[in-house]
Amino acid sequence: MILKYDISPKILEKIPLSNDERLYYAIPYDIDGDGAWIKGAYLLVTTKNIHIFDGEIIKETIEIKDLSHAKAEAKVGGGILVVTKDGEDKVLVHYSARHLSRYAYIARGINILISGRFEEAESNEYEKMCPKCGRAIPGTKYCPKCSKEGGFLKEFIGLAKPYKKDFFGVFVLMVLVAITTLLNPEIQKHLINDVLKGNGGFKKAMVFLAIMFSLSVAIVIINYLKSNASTKLGAKISADLRMKLFKKYQALPLSFINDRRPGELLNRITQDTTAIREFLEDVFCNLFAVLFIFIWDIIFMMVLNFKLAILTFITVPLVVVLIVAFRKAVYRIFHLQFRKNDDVSSDLQDVISGMRVVKTYGREEEEANRFKRLSGEFARTQRRNETFWAIFYPMISFLMGMGAVIVVYFGGLDVFAGKMSAGELYQFIAYTTLLFQYINWMSWLPRELTVLTSSIERINDILNQEIEEKDPDTMKDIEIEGEITFNHATFGYKSYEPVLENINVVVNKGEMIGIVGASGTGKSTLINLLMGLYQVDDGRLLIDNTDIKDINSKSFHSQLGVVLQETFLFSGTILDNIRFSKPDATYEEIVKAAKTANAHDFICNTPDGYNTYVGEKGYTLSGGERQRIAIARAILTNPRLLILDEATASLDTENEFMIQKALERLTEGKTTFAIAHRLSTLRKADRIMVIDGHNIAEIGTHEELLAKKGMYYNLYKAQIG
Amino acid sequence: MAEINTYEKEAEEMTRMTVITDKDKFERTNGGFVNLTKDGILFERVKVVRLFPFTDADKYISIRENSAKAKEIGIIEDLGALDENTQEILREQLRLNYFTPVIEKIYNIKDEYGYAYFHVLTDKGECKFAINMASNAVTKLSDSRLIIMDLDENRFEIRDVNALTQKERRKLDLFL
Repeated sequence: MILKYDISPKILEKIPLSNDERLYYAIPYDIDGDGAWIKGAYLLVTTKNIHIFDGEIIKETIEIKDLSHAKAEAKVGGGILVVTKDGEDKVLVHYSARHLSRYAYIARGINILISGRFEEAESNEYEKMCPKCGRAIPGTKYCPKCSKEGGFLKEFIGLAKPYKKDFFGVFVLMVLVAITTLLNPEIQKHLINDVLKGNGGFKKAMVFLAIMFSLSVAIVIINYLKSNASTKLGAKISADLRMKLFKKYQALPLSFINDRRPGELLNRITQDTTAIREFLEDVFCNLFAVLFIFIWDIIFMMVLNFKLAILTFITVPLVVVLIVAFRKAVYRIFHLQFRKNDDVSSDLQDVISGMRVVKTYGREEEEANRFKRLSGEFARTQRRNETFWAIFYPMISFLMGMGAVIVVYFGGLDVFAGKMSAGELYQFIAYTTLLFQYINWMSWLPRELTVLTSSIERINDILNQEIEEKDPDTMKDIEIEGEITFNHATFGYKSYEPVLENINVVVNKGEMIGIVGASGTGKSTLINLLMGLYQVDDGRLLIDNTDIKDINSKSFHSQLGVVLQETFLFSGTILDNIRFSKPDATYEEIVKAAKTANAHDFICNTPDGYNTYVGEKGYTLSGGERQRIAIARAILTNPRLLILDEATASLDTENEFMIQKALERLTEGKTTFAIAHRLSTLRKADRIMVIDGHNIAEIGTHEELLAKKGMYYNLYKAQIG
Repeated sequence: MAEINTYEKEAEEMTRMTVITDKDKFERTNGGFVNLTKDGILFERVKVVRLFPFTDADKYISIRENSAKAKEIGIIEDLGALDENTQEILREQLRLNYFTPVIEKIYNIKDEYGYAYFHVLTDKGECKFAINMASNAVTKLSDSRLIIMDLDENRFEIRDVNALTQKERRKLDLFL
């Protein structure tokens, strides 16, 4: 993301920099004091001053040394940059959502300068619109249109390189297709001229028929081989790409995954690789054949009858315009129909899944009326579209056939005048038909190519993503003792929203820490950091005095036990799910772990014992049962560090008691972090941590916090009564 | 009970409906925000929140404390009923807090490979923006009222689709 735009020299000369002063940030703001759009207005930040420009006029200059804090506040549909000067908040600029995250970095940058340091804030986020061409960027770092106009071919070749042999095979077959296709009209000409019009006799006729027959057979065979080869090639390339992407996803940090919408990453594996496969199967396998045929087709036509060829070519642009216009109209009306259909289904889904509510409030009739209206609209659109199709499609076919009519008329005149033989006219008509057929095909090409370019761009965006390679020599394998230190730890998922700020705490070996606080205050975030899923933005997180960044993640995770509120069970057997944490565990270990987790008894009551299939389509386990499987999974590895995120929140009292017991056995003597809403579940905790306002608001033993009469006291009173 | 639990107090307070009247005084701060003095208590940098931003933007405006909890201080039932000066102060805050340009005229919509590029005139001036056609960029508030969310998550409103010209509607049809 750009934090320093190119600024015109006229503006720059208005702010002469003193000796050691540097320009750090220069970004636009796009809303003026009256709340209207403006252009060409910039905020410039040097190491000493903030200048606000409107065009070339300085509206305001503020010295950074007078400020105590800067903040980018997100509002509805935009945001404001606020600075605090002499204890009073002041609005500097107002901007639309386009610059929301940009200003978050600027605020961070200004705060760094306020604190007397001189680091420049940087942003790894991508621009959403190309600053050069103004086009949307499809979730990648560079605009596929601008950055690599010429480089696309290079990328495609890079992709194709490992499959050289297969490509060559397809290519040879394509050339063969082209030759056989073009040869056919030539033979037909001879049949007409030499045999039918001349006096070839039966024998000669049979020879030509035999050639034509073998050519037709050859076309079928070659086409079969060609589609076979290209389908194989497409499937191979997309399978390889899928695997590469999948491996890369697992290697990428969670923050990268979280920056993107979940569906988008899924699409890259499923849809984008499919797009490449389809291109290879449907387009590429014909591409060279069509181009080859097309060029020779034109040459043959010109050789046969130059005047007639030119005449035919003149109609080409007309036909192209017609095709494109028709296609647009068709897309338009059917898109509308599709949308209406969508409305109908989503309304249906709404009402059916909310049937209980509809019935309890007696709203059946209103809902039925609404549905009737939507359904009626859909039917009307559908009827209109079918009428359109019925009228226009034959018209278009007729108009496209006009080219042939012209050829027959003028060609016929030439035949009568003796300038052209009947066979040649027949051949010419055949070539004309081919020409229009391929023009239609080629008019799709730009669209197909763009789909392919975007897909390749999106795939490469992931594959080219640099992963911070950690030097395996400096990574340490450690035996976790269990002392955890948060040292000025600061973290946020989004640039403009810190979730945890300046967390400082030392947790002793074997201690159990209860974490409480309202939802959204950062409890789960704290735990995400502990699990090593995210890295702190500022400050450090130490495990036994070693920075978590320097610990070999495999060795770290093998000593970590995690039970979350919602347990995710993979599709598979109970055995598979318990074994997930330790694939080489013996039956004895597994049964032991299940017993400790109070899971053994209910597992025995399932139809297939430990081999019972659970997961999406399998045996349904209750929330408490799933939870106990998760606990057994955690017990199995004998973890040194335990993390419980509301492990018992969604359970009934009996289940909760059983699980509480199981957890107590599990946590004994191990450093444990437990998030809980119900404070009763934290009675065994050594210390309680209250998180509020991005910070640790209170920390201490149950008694200490009660005596303090602070937040914990209030929470406790509210729950105990 | 001698000591009232704060949560109980809070739960009670939440049910209270306080109306802001002419007696309560709004003042613009030098920094461009607003302070409120109500019943002799000064609230600094209060938040001005629309309760019905789409259906009735000027009615029921909640004035809230500037804290993490943002407790409600009171509700203005009708902004238009306040004196001119106070109205102007509060409208300035609303302008800062809400930016939803209303599309008045559609010059052009070009679709190119999954994205639609709009060139429109809004009540905040002319502008261009792009939407992703695959995502649900268009929300229907009613049959004729739309909210369009662009790639940057800016929101644009079309108050009445039927008020657009036939030509503009044809352009828009693809996205409705």
